[in-house]
Amino acid sequence: MNRITLLAVPALGFLAILYALPLLMLLAKSVSTADGLSLAEYRSFFADEHNMRVIWRTLRVAALTTLLALVIAYPTAFAMSRAKGPWLTVYLVAMVLPMSLGVVVKAFAWSILFRANGALNDALQWLGLIERPVRMLFTETALVVGAANVFLPFMVLPIYAVVRQLDARLPEAAASLGATPMFRFFNVTLPLTLPGVVAGSAFTFSLAVSMYVIPSLIVGERQQTMSMLIARSFLYLRNEPLGSTISAVLLAIAVAVVVLSSIAARRLGARQ
Amino acid sequence: MSGMDFRVERGELVSLLGPSGCGKTTLLRIIAGLMDADDGAVVLGGRDISRLPAHRRNVSVVFQNYALFPHLTVAENVAFGLRARGTPKAQIDGPVLEALALVRMDSFADRPISALSGGQQQRVAVARALVVQPDLLLLDEPFSALDRKLRETMQVELKTLLRDRGITAIFVTHDQEEAMGVSDRIAVMNAGKIEQFADPSMLYARPASPFVMDFVGLSTRISGKVSAVQDGILTLSTAYGTLSAPGDLPIGSAAQIGVRPELISLGAGENALSITLEDAMVLGSKTVLHGRAEDGDRILCELPGIRTGLSRGESVTLGWAVGDTLVYGGGA
Repeated sequence: MNRITLLAVPALGFLAILYALPLLMLLAKSVSTADGLSLAEYRSFFADEHNMRVIWRTLRVAALTTLLALVIAYPTAFAMSRAKGPWLTVYLVAMVLPMSLGVVVKAFAWSILFRANGALNDALQWLGLIERPVRMLFTETALVVGAANVFLPFMVLPIYAVVRQLDARLPEAAASLGATPMFRFFNVTLPLTLPGVVAGSAFTFSLAVSMYVIPSLIVGERQQTMSMLIARSFLYLRNEPLGSTISAVLLAIAVAVVVLSSIAARRLGARQ
Repeated sequence: MSGMDFRVERGELVSLLGPSGCGKTTLLRIIAGLMDADDGAVVLGGRDISRLPAHRRNVSVVFQNYALFPHLTVAENVAFGLRARGTPKAQIDGPVLEALALVRMDSFADRPISALSGGQQQRVAVARALVVQPDLLLLDEPFSALDRKLRETMQVELKTLLRDRGITAIFVTHDQEEAMGVSDRIAVMNAGKIEQFADPSMLYARPASPFVMDFVGLSTRISGKVSAVQDGILTLSTAYGTLSAPGDLPIGSAAQIGVRPELISLGAGENALSITLEDAMVLGSKTVLHGRAEDGDRILCELPGIRTGLSRGESVTLGWAVGDTLVYGGGA
């Protein structure tokens, strides 16, 4: 073994003891019954329509969150890559500082803004745009918007890292060859920054598909996500096999996203 | 930048030559439409293109680092301009292969860019720029990334190619030999303005300013003062006696006197100077004498072929013709 490889030992040990081992025990729980190994728990889980709705909602919310974060992050990354001196610091602080605020504080601040008699509803009514307060909190839209806000840095930073390295002469070369701004974007800029988009999307999707605190605060039990289902199984129902089963399904989804996106990133990277 | 007026004829190869920071790349970017000028106009074929965006100018650029698209193959790079212009698919492959054949890269069509050497990348960049049949081709230091031998080969190849196809091109370079080798005319730039725009032989034989004389080729320089004028010949008094030069300066004014080293020969001529030899470098095709005149001025003299028997510390008299003497008004 290469001596440099030894530097990874602390991280590998850490992951093995705090991640892999408990996870394996969890997986073992989901397939073990009194009569030995069985997939009965999975069969009954997937047979329940409510569970399928939760899976579908979790995936939909994660996908929409990723999409919204991407749409906001992509142009931001370009602005950051062109930012000079103190402005770059301002951008980075603006990205990182809200992370230190914590989701709980954010969620309560949002409720002041978005509740039925909140600032936004008052303003819209005063402007005559709406007649009676619109429900903004406790909706899936609110969840997607809130989650995209919280996860934005995880989308911006990987894209920024790639955009920063983009040779500014490539779009210029394209322009001098007669390419319109639109053609340049879709044939030069976008393909060359796609690895950053893939990385950022994988981060954001993994975080969004497994989020617990944000949906608990924004939509509550009314619209459960998989993580909430897991928590309920363990905390309230004391049903460890059920909780382990849902955890395994969630893990499978997250692993699939990470594997597929790293294959995609390598494919895109290999051409460059 | 100001005083940038110059005109390039159709089919002409022109170089913008100057030290780094003189504004030559800025000028190239303005012509290409990658940058806006505060003032002035870019006219191409009688049409003012100053307000057109780069993609509507039909001006191709070969960049210093070639700026090939790393995510596309060689053929896809060359096809890019045609695709961007909405050329039908059926009419792309033919011109692309033709352009690649022109630069002898047709067997590399399906390779990725990362598999190419510097010289090959340059050829692909040229093919990519030419396939769209630009009205004007701009080349930004196209040879600077190549090693010396390859650079010379590529210069000859590219010049022949552009000539054969009658392409109008502007090179940007800081290398005077390269500029003299590839261009019909050269614009020498200094501190944001064009000092002289002339063909290479004129530029070398009759530089318009001391800057051009120093930047294009080597020279020996001595300061003096005009003591007499007769029939267009100035008599100049210097620390080393009087020298003569063809020129037109008022009596009593300070002057800079210059001579090209290869025009100086051993033994007194119409103008003469004695030096102490510091070094005689035998370079094969020529022998270069580095000397110092009494007052400390460095004197450079190139003699054809191999000269032996000249040793360090020796006192030597050098001479040259009045007609070969350059003179400029002003102090050092």
